[in-house]
Amino acid sequence: MNKLGRSNRDKVQQFMAITGASEKVALQALKASDWHLEGAFDVFYSQPHIRTYTDTRHLEELYHRYKDSYADMILVDGITLLCNDLQVDPQDIVMLVLSWHMKAATMCEFSKQEFISGLQALGIDTLEKFRERIQYMRSELKDDQKFREIYNFAFGWAKEKGQKSLALDTAIGMWQLLFAENQWPLVDHWCQFLQARHNKAISRDTWSQLLEFARTVDPTLSNYDAEGAWPYLIDEFVEYLNENNIVQKSHMDDPAR
Amino acid sequence: MCTQKPPHDYSQQLYDKYRESFEDYITSTVLPSLREKHDEFMLKELVKRWGNHKVMVRWLSRFFYYLDRYFIARRSLPPLNEVGLTCFRELVYQELKVKVRDAVISLIDQEREGEQIDRALLKNILDIFVEIGMGQMDYYENDFEAALLKDSAAYYSRKASSWILDDSCPDYMLKAEECLKREKDRVAHYLHSSSESKLLEKVQHELLSVYASQLLEKEHSGCHALLRDDKVGDLSRMFRLFSKIPKGLDPVANIFKQHVTAEGTALVKQAEEAASSKKGDKKDVVGLQEQVFVRKVIELHDKYVAYVNDCFQNHTLFHKALKEAFEVFCNKGVGGSSSAELLATFCDNILKKGGSEKLSDEAIEETLEKVVKLLAYISDKDLFAEFYRKKLARRLLFDKSANDDHERSILTKLKQQCGGQFTSKMEGMVTDLTLAKENQTSFEEYLSNNTNANPGIDLTVTVLTTGFWPSYKSFDLNLPAEMVKCVEVFREFYQTKTKHRKLTWIYSLGTCNIIGKFEPKTMELIVTTYQASALLLFNSSDRLSYSEIMTQLNLTDDDVVRLLHSLSCAKYKILNKEPNTKTIAPTDHFEFNSKFTDKMRRIKIPLPPVDEKKKVIEDVDKDRRYAIDASIVRIMKSRKVLGHQQLVMECVEQLGRMFKPDFKAIKKRIEDLITRDYLERDKDNPNLFRYLA
Repeated sequence: MNKLGRSNRDKVQQFMAITGASEKVALQALKASDWHLEGAFDVFYSQPHIRTYTDTRHLEELYHRYKDSYADMILVDGITLLCNDLQVDPQDIVMLVLSWHMKAATMCEFSKQEFISGLQALGIDTLEKFRERIQYMRSELKDDQKFREIYNFAFGWAKEKGQKSLALDTAIGMWQLLFAENQWPLVDHWCQFLQARHNKAISRDTWSQLLEFARTVDPTLSNYDAEGAWPYLIDEFVEYLNENNIVQKSHMDDPAR
Repeated sequence: MCTQKPPHDYSQQLYDKYRESFEDYITSTVLPSLREKHDEFMLKELVKRWGNHKVMVRWLSRFFYYLDRYFIARRSLPPLNEVGLTCFRELVYQELKVKVRDAVISLIDQEREGEQIDRALLKNILDIFVEIGMGQMDYYENDFEAALLKDSAAYYSRKASSWILDDSCPDYMLKAEECLKREKDRVAHYLHSSSESKLLEKVQHELLSVYASQLLEKEHSGCHALLRDDKVGDLSRMFRLFSKIPKGLDPVANIFKQHVTAEGTALVKQAEEAASSKKGDKKDVVGLQEQVFVRKVIELHDKYVAYVNDCFQNHTLFHKALKEAFEVFCNKGVGGSSSAELLATFCDNILKKGGSEKLSDEAIEETLEKVVKLLAYISDKDLFAEFYRKKLARRLLFDKSANDDHERSILTKLKQQCGGQFTSKMEGMVTDLTLAKENQTSFEEYLSNNTNANPGIDLTVTVLTTGFWPSYKSFDLNLPAEMVKCVEVFREFYQTKTKHRKLTWIYSLGTCNIIGKFEPKTMELIVTTYQASALLLFNSSDRLSYSEIMTQLNLTDDDVVRLLHSLSCAKYKILNKEPNTKTIAPTDHFEFNSKFTDKMRRIKIPLPPVDEKKKVIEDVDKDRRYAIDASIVRIMKSRKVLGHQQLVMECVEQLGRMFKPDFKAIKKRIEDLITRDYLERDKDNPNLFRYLA
């Protein structure tokens, strides 16, 4: 709050007074609307930042609609049905965002707990509300901080239960999906490199560091620090890029390294 | 005149008169006589006049001593002798000093050109400069010394510029040394001692500093050439001269280092060429050429250590240069074998029977000493240790060690150089053998006390402590029935000694003495246990196929091929092979060769050992991974939080005694430790690591 200018602080106060929202929420809404109060109200009311009341009976009904006949969880068939109802492709990345809200442990299944608490957090208790929230969930991917959380969540979610690392094919699929939303020009080269040279599972450290790499190092590699603590695989990737002249080598001789 | 009260106290007048009289005398007599003379004559006159003056001052001061005691003290005036000398200075010295100076300097220059001059005269003149200061050196320094230094610098600068073009480096250095000597001499004879360091510095600067790089780099006679031609005397001179100028030795040390590196690298290349012209099948064996290479490196080392000690007077800069040079080429392998392996093989050759029996004990000790010194330059010390250990094992187990004392001696030397941890396993191995002998004695006692536990064959067992010895794969060889009994008997015996130990039998290391009843004559064959087992199969069948042998023995193809080859295609053909080709094929058949004979009654049939090189390198790599892991954990445990660069640096330092860890390897281990939850990256700074308790 202290870093804001006077007028902005006033706006935050006003917003909080009118909507009854918390300071954090107010800041978010105002930032998203470029500090226009009217716009901020729009943003706020179209998004369920506050826990709207959700009817538990409806939630139970929804759950039973998708629940598997034998196990007390939602499995593949249930999920396919859900996607149909939502008019969303099962491979759509929005399902990942949904899983993230639910804090789902693993892909292609939702426990009852995960399903219900996730929907509650999103303020959904009917299918119409569910369909409305889809757009909102998609927009969350544009937020840097949330994208990072979703990206890191994806590792644990996509890997096999009991394994420490993520199978290469799954990883590549996930990367293609994620970086379609949040562009990284080198993603294809990265996937090719892995298939050609690595052919093993991906560790959590490599997964999370890759996002940092994509975020901080520019595609010409001009600010890549070879002496840095990048995972070994990323160093190899850089070498691969240089060997195949995908990136201009001259940047590597930067004495500022 | 002085003791009365004023106005009858004439002290002041007396004092003034005293001075006046000097002034008068000087102006009237001394100066004119000096003015009319020149050069050397003037100098002589000056000396004479100064001498006179001093005498006068002394005597007159004595006459008027009363003034000195009372008048001067009361009025804080300069004492009488000072007055007298000051007169001379103000009147004579100040007028003539420049002329005198120039005259002196020109005489000095003449002497430099080789002429004889009157040194005593110069000494006296320069004494004047000193004495005229009355305790201070200012006059000497400002009025004479400064000009002398300037002139000397100019003089030598001229000389140097012509010498550098005409003379070779050694000749120039000789001249330079001579000049310095002469200047020093000059100081001793007539210059003031305080001039020595300043004068020599100027001369050194003009002769050496200015032309240092030109001198050193002279094409046919510069430093490189001198080293090449082993001109020890000239190099010593070079050292003496260059050690005097600031940073003078750095370029010399550099050239020395380059030279040694070049020589060493040439040796490597030579050996490499010799090795690549070897026959194809012998490529993996460390051959004679490589041994010659090691010997040559030792000789090179000896030569240049002598240089450092003698020519370069044990200077640290040169020790460092030598060390760095050796580190460059000592880490280059030859013919596919690393330098660590070469060195280990070299030691093996010295220590094994038949290796160096011609050398005296002293010579062997010396050579071992030198080998250990070379080890200091090799970065993969752990690789050397492993190769050495493997070869030591062979020597000990097959009784190939020539001399126990030498074995222990080299271990002591290695321990001194590389620490106890380096040699602990090897020492354990040597001890094991001693214990094994005792064990064998008790076994024999046991046998004599229990006649029913008779194995039927003379059996000697060597029990090894697993941790000390290299790891050996043990195959489940199907022993012949006779040997099975032996194993049983020993096992029982061993149970009586210790209940908690497990015995694993390594048949691949055993030897066997077999009596072969051949038609010509009966012979004793010394073979390995594997070979013996194969031969004993022929007690029950005359003819066996390859696959039958393999099945019955339960060994791998590699082992079977090797052992059959040694029995049928090598020097002694104990078995006949069908077809009679030079190599073993799985379709071959074998028969006992009853007609075999040799002029000896007892022959040894060697089974060439498997090449251990790959395994050793693999083992060492594995050990290194553990070592890096342990080092990283150790560092992080004590630091808790550390940046990537620093962690890598400390790791390299910690492990440097045994090997030079690869950055990539360290990075991989760090990542592995992250996956195993020993470390984590800091949330905000991915270049920082935290220790997870």
